[in-house]
Amino acid sequence: MMTPSLARTLNALGLVAISVPLLFAFTDQFVNHDLPCPLCLLQRAGFVAAGIGIALNAIEPRPAHYAMAIVSSIVGAAVSLRQIALHVVPGTGGYGDPFLGMHFYTWAFVVFVLIILGSAAMLFLEGQFEPEIGYQRPRLAGLGLFAVALFALIALGNAVSTVAECELGLCPDNPTTYQLFEGQPAQGTPPDDGGSATAQ
Amino acid sequence: MMALPFFTAFLALLTTWRGWRGATMALWALTIVVLLVLVKLHFTDALDIDL
Repeated sequence: MMTPSLARTLNALGLVAISVPLLFAFTDQFVNHDLPCPLCLLQRAGFVAAGIGIALNAIEPRPAHYAMAIVSSIVGAAVSLRQIALHVVPGTGGYGDPFLGMHFYTWAFVVFVLIILGSAAMLFLEGQFEPEIGYQRPRLAGLGLFAVALFALIALGNAVSTVAECELGLCPDNPTTYQLFEGQPAQGTPPDDGGSATAQ
Repeated sequence: MMALPFFTAFLALLTTWRGWRGATMALWALTIVVLLVLVKLHFTDALDIDL
């Protein structure tokens, strides 16, 4: 029986799980100086948007919150698929270094699909939506508070990092420097296979 | 502009923490709209694949 309390705990754990690929990408960005391409940033934003629905579920599970996670994951998965398609033809290379045999954008697609399937599976368990006796809307505490706070910090970190990388405009196809600190990249930089639709 | 969805999402998470569900959902919707606009700006060329 899926109780509201158990569903809140599972969603908090899910939010921590979504934080892992974002933290991994962030670590890769700063340790290996592997700047995220525009499509990579859009995929990160897709994860963060999906996390908002899951964060709401960590307080009070509702079908609409799962719908938010599913819609966000569909948008994120579409971006991942776009980037996979840019490199699907043999010989077109990839963007960034692969991890465990797949590029980050392919892993991102896998995780988006897992979020969609996980949310759909949770929607089957309707016990979590039934009103509890003596119900009072819970406040964030414990694991839920930790998960939401961690996720909010990751979102803010990505916001600051993106401003540093791209300032207030669109990011270059193949970012090599933080524009905020080092100025605009030289014109005529050859397009890479990495970031946007213009880079093929 | 690329940072905008992260800022709106951060605000959404702050409102989640405060328990303002309506504001969270509105900010989430704004995040998705911004994300879709950015997607539109980046999905411009035809893919070199045969479907």
